[in-house]
Amino acid sequence: MTLGSFVRKHRPGWQKLETMLAFIEARGPSRTDRPFLQELTALYRATTGDLAYAQTHFRGTTVLLFLHQLVARAHNQIYRPHRLSLRAVERFFRKEIPQALRLHLQAVIWSAIVFLMGIALGISAVQFDERSASIILPNHILNSIYSGQMWTGSIFSVVPAPVASTFLFTSNISVALLAFAGGLSFGIITAWLLFQNGFMLGVIFKLCANYGLLGAVLEFIAGHGIIEISAIIVSGGAGFVVAQALLNPGAYSRGDALAQQGRSAVRMAVACVPVLVIAGCIEAFISPSHLPVWFKITLGLLLGAIFWLYLLFTGKRSVR
Amino acid sequence: MSTLTSTWETSRTELELPEEIDLQLEVANVGSRTLAILIDITLCGFVLLVVYMLTFLLARDETQSWLTDLTANTMTTILILLIFGSQWCYFNLFEWVWNGQTPGKRLLHLRVIKADGTPVSWIDVLLRNLSRPVDTLGPMGLIGLLMIFASRKAQRLGDLMARTLVIHETEIDWSIFDQVESPTAATDKARSVIRLAPDQWELLHRYLNRREQLQSEVRQRLAAALVEKLKPLVKGTDLDLSTLAPEEWLIELAQRT
Repeated sequence: MTLGSFVRKHRPGWQKLETMLAFIEARGPSRTDRPFLQELTALYRATTGDLAYAQTHFRGTTVLLFLHQLVARAHNQIYRPHRLSLRAVERFFRKEIPQALRLHLQAVIWSAIVFLMGIALGISAVQFDERSASIILPNHILNSIYSGQMWTGSIFSVVPAPVASTFLFTSNISVALLAFAGGLSFGIITAWLLFQNGFMLGVIFKLCANYGLLGAVLEFIAGHGIIEISAIIVSGGAGFVVAQALLNPGAYSRGDALAQQGRSAVRMAVACVPVLVIAGCIEAFISPSHLPVWFKITLGLLLGAIFWLYLLFTGKRSVR
Repeated sequence: MSTLTSTWETSRTELELPEEIDLQLEVANVGSRTLAILIDITLCGFVLLVVYMLTFLLARDETQSWLTDLTANTMTTILILLIFGSQWCYFNLFEWVWNGQTPGKRLLHLRVIKADGTPVSWIDVLLRNLSRPVDTLGPMGLIGLLMIFASRKAQRLGDLMARTLVIHETEIDWSIFDQVESPTAATDKARSVIRLAPDQWELLHRYLNRREQLQSEVRQRLAAALVEKLKPLVKGTDLDLSTLAPEEWLIELAQRT
């Protein structure tokens, strides 16, 4: 059989398969009926036969390349992984995220240590020389603290809370996701982000203490601070897991270690996203408000406790 | 002469199917992947620019009514979400919903698949796209470019972590098969019939079909290269000694196959 007659004979079948694939790719397999699927699998088998024939007789042709692609496409539909179902999402949040965190607790602890080192260095930097605060804090915040005023009052009275919360949680989620991705830089970007955020917090603490604002700043961060810092530390831990796969892959090749560890580390990073949305909303709506202090502290502690109890103690039963 | 041997000889990847056939797919090259990214970034940038200008115009209203305040704030919130979305959601959402394609990839016939040939799941998509700040966007893009150059299956760091490949889905010129081959030689005793291997036959007809669209310089060069490649096959026939110009020679050859 010549190439031309081969194509003319079988192309109608290939075209039929292509239109069926286009349908199933757009609508999903649930919108098809039994005869449709039977015809699809029959055409798939026929086309794999054509591919085998073409592989023997028509090497190096674009027709062979086309058949490879068509079979791959059909194969993808017939052997496709489970679509995202409600049950899979539930399993993801109830089992996979806490299990991933417990597996990588060590990395999370390292992340916390880097963050705390940042705080400590921030405090001692201001202790040593108050002007060092200007390397990390913008001028309007500095001037506000120098005059014994909280900077938050002026910001949150100008910017409405919905806008502020959106800005806060998007930028915090960006930091968290970047801390995860930074693992691919052998952890350098991750460590830098953790250190920088810790350093800023340390500087603010010490500087506010110097100007009699420590109580005010603690009241401000009481509501959202615990879960926000927890989320940044967890995502930093996710970054360190990736970094460790690159630096010390153990018994695996670097590529295998990266693929395997990345898969569970990304779960930790995803866990931080809803948490940071909540933290951002509290920071904009509740923290600058005149609600009583005890309420803010209780809220902060409660959310922090829920977050850590969820991560450390839930989803223990084996995954079914 | 990558145009003469099919390009996928050098850039194919092999996958195994349960049906015990090895699939060979063409891995997308650095050029088309960069172009796809540029298209996607331009698209995001354009949408952001339009929304930014709208926000600016709506917020400029002097009347200070509660309605202008509300619209300005809503627009600002939308703008913040879009900036975030263009960085973290655009690639994730498209590659998840469009089965491994973004608008840029679709335009250039690229698709992301798993290294074992199966379609990407949402977690694969997440893994390869969350890593973009480290190996695709801004100056870090250089790292991704080098990785795609250097790794065997053109994978950047995010692809390695997610175990994904970007493949190129070739478009085929089917019109060359429409003509029924009946060598005119049957009616003309002086002209002998020549047998070509399928890939040579296809190559010849693809050239003849496409030549009208080529620049004349490229057209001449390709014709000469093709003649050089196909000449040994006609040894001992009158075509071997023919003095026709390369293109006419190829037309003559096509009529005898």
